[in-house]
Amino acid sequence: MSSPAFEAFLARLYTDKDLRLRCLASAADVAREYGLSGEECLALEAIDRDGLILAAESYARKRRSKANFNPGRTRLWSRALRHTLGLLLCFASRVTGRHSGKHMNS
Amino acid sequence: MVAAAVGVVAAADAGAVVADARRRDRVGISWRPELAAGIYLHLSHIDVLEVLADNFFVAPRRMIGALRALGREVPLTLHGVGMGLASTFGVEMARVEPMARLAAALEPESWSEHLAFVRAGGTEIGHLAVPPRTIPTVEGALANIERAARVVGTAPEFENVATLVEPPGSTLDEAAWVRSIIRGSGTSLLLDLHNLYANARNFGHDPLALLEAMPLAQVRCVHISGGRWINAPSGGRRLLDDHLHDPPGDVYLLLEHLAALTAQPLTVILERDGHYPPFAVLVAELDGARAALARGRRRRGLLLPAAA
Repeated sequence: MSSPAFEAFLARLYTDKDLRLRCLASAADVAREYGLSGEECLALEAIDRDGLILAAESYARKRRSKANFNPGRTRLWSRALRHTLGLLLCFASRVTGRHSGKHMNS
Repeated sequence: MVAAAVGVVAAADAGAVVADARRRDRVGISWRPELAAGIYLHLSHIDVLEVLADNFFVAPRRMIGALRALGREVPLTLHGVGMGLASTFGVEMARVEPMARLAAALEPESWSEHLAFVRAGGTEIGHLAVPPRTIPTVEGALANIERAARVVGTAPEFENVATLVEPPGSTLDEAAWVRSIIRGSGTSLLLDLHNLYANARNFGHDPLALLEAMPLAQVRCVHISGGRWINAPSGGRRLLDDHLHDPPGDVYLLLEHLAALTAQPLTVILERDGHYPPFAVLVAELDGARAALARGRRRRGLLLPAAA
């Protein structure tokens, strides 16, 4: 089990409310419609129904939040970073002499 | 949990103790623009900063310059959320190349991604979802890790993911699936203790038993965060990992237990994505993580020097 087709089906199940409602009403019908295997059909019939609904709501909130992302806010913070806090950094570096090396772990 | 934890600690390996005592546990925080002022004003409390890489893939040069300046003060790590490497679908190079460019620009200590899929068959889920825990997704993840490591130049650390739904069609339990990918790829596990805690509570497992079943010798970095309980349609409750709340006490107990079970130095990152409290609260949480690490090291008989 867990073919790319099943993974693609799950992605749709998590994001498509109509499909989700039909699946919760009759997993076997939906499995047939999408050409899922017998094993995959059994997995759908045994699905964690509460978890599916809650997870789908959570993913939907994340998608809405990404859609509302405001790049202007990021630019504002970039300017704040550069102009205001950069000065603090220089000051702190001179006072403490703190310096840290960095290397990617291999 | 504490009572169950006592007595489980393995005897410290003398060689590992000597080798690792030269290094230190570290505690840091995830970089967020809203926390910038607090972070700069409390650099003495922060050993490392984790940068959410996807937010900087198309950032202007001056922002990258600001991060480079930050990296001269505090070691940086990069954390990705969008590759979806735990999948039977091959990762697209266009998803990996921005991480390679950012890593080249910032020279972080390490980079990390999630044991999750975020899209499949042209559908964007919008967040980290756990694929069916099966041998094919293990094999898919191993192939994608190799591909990503080749492009970025180093292999990522991999984070266990919280889920509200038991992944349908799974044939492996969570710990077995994570172990197969981490050991098969030779990468490190970025162990998110709240994700582990949420999954254990949501699906009826003992959090300590789930912790002990993870590949703990491969853990280098740890996440701590918080969440909230939400009502399920049929009447139960599930713990949502939302990064909007303080880490619960049990997460610190898990951290202590992890420190008691492992010999290698650990880097703990506090994650917070909103509902920001006064920075003093976050500093107290960093101190709480340090205290938990120290308690665990004492239980193990291995007290590493505290980071500055």
